[in-house]
Amino acid sequence: MALDENVHQEITDLIEANEVVLFMKGDRRSPQCGFSATVIGILDSMISDYHTVDVLSAPHLRDGIKIFSSWPTVPQLYVKGEFVGGCDIIQEMFGSGEIYKTLGVEPLEIVQPKIEVTDAAIKALQQASAEHGGGGRELHLSVDATFQANLSIAPRTPADIEAVSSGILLLLDPISASRADGITIDVSETPNGQAFKIDNPNAPRIQSMSVRELQAALDAGDALELLDVRTPEERAIAAIPGAVLLNEEEAARIEALPRDTKLVLHCHHGGRAQQAAEQFISLGFSQVFNVVGGIDAWSQEIDPDVPRY
Amino acid sequence: MALQIINAGPPPEEIADRIRAAIAQAMPEATIEVRCQGPGHFEITVTDAVFEGLSRVKQQQQVYGAITALMAGPTPAVHAVDRLECLVPGVA
Repeated sequence: MALDENVHQEITDLIEANEVVLFMKGDRRSPQCGFSATVIGILDSMISDYHTVDVLSAPHLRDGIKIFSSWPTVPQLYVKGEFVGGCDIIQEMFGSGEIYKTLGVEPLEIVQPKIEVTDAAIKALQQASAEHGGGGRELHLSVDATFQANLSIAPRTPADIEAVSSGILLLLDPISASRADGITIDVSETPNGQAFKIDNPNAPRIQSMSVRELQAALDAGDALELLDVRTPEERAIAAIPGAVLLNEEEAARIEALPRDTKLVLHCHHGGRAQQAAEQFISLGFSQVFNVVGGIDAWSQEIDPDVPRY
Repeated sequence: MALQIINAGPPPEEIADRIRAAIAQAMPEATIEVRCQGPGHFEITVTDAVFEGLSRVKQQQQVYGAITALMAGPTPAVHAVDRLECLVPGVA
């Protein structure tokens, strides 16, 4: 089946202009199918800079890419102009480690996580395994980009890493394993019965930054995004030089940035910035700072020309 | 409201024949097996010496490339290939 010349050119341009391109359903922040989400998760664990093309918003590419590559499904990964494969193949290459060579990056260090399971949790996990396991289905612990941990019973995959704690075998994919060292699994009583309670010390927390530290960082030209989470009306009264109002457009720009970007948030006194910081943490950002005392502290300690209100 | 015409499409066996013919045209030496697994779903096994030494992706691209026309468009005759096996003759 012949591919329209213009579509062929469009795809060729895309894979030549970007070293790593993923044709997918949805975009990096909100994949619209499970296979696309799986590949995004794998890529995010290795590289921060890659291009995605949403075939749902470009129907001519949805068919075009299948003809272009002689491959019937989406997602499709291209590296240095070469078709690499779809979801199954990328998972397989991730399991075997081959994908690192393809992408030209250093392998993710295989972390053997230490996991603690309390006596009550051992009992509950044994019971869950007895009820739902078997037939190749085993206990899995996964930790997502926001460091939320999840227990499940699912088939083992070749990439899985084993962690044994108090006789309980847990399987983790390599990305989860790198985020899971030091986790404690416990159970707690809830109004609806027992629930697993997982504490992950690796979860990023909001950090504090004094106005003096902020001034030093700005003077030194440190790479950071200084975000003002107040209203435009407050900003008209007083503003810290270099701070950008966090409106919808700005939020969309920030959300597309690499997750290790340093985000520094300020408001009037620190309350609203704390809430906004929590949101960015839940989006997976690991370097999130709240300016202690907000712009009011800046006026008092750094620059009296910035009016107090 | 206009009357909607729903085209049920050709029967699965006929589509399986079209898959076989399309692959045979692109790979004349191949032994081809196509099994229908329900409406629009197929399993394909192709055995051909040209697969020798190729990666799995490159092997499968040869077969998929031959049947793209059947898989593209808004209502493709072949909805999904559930399983595609590419074998080299004499190799288990």
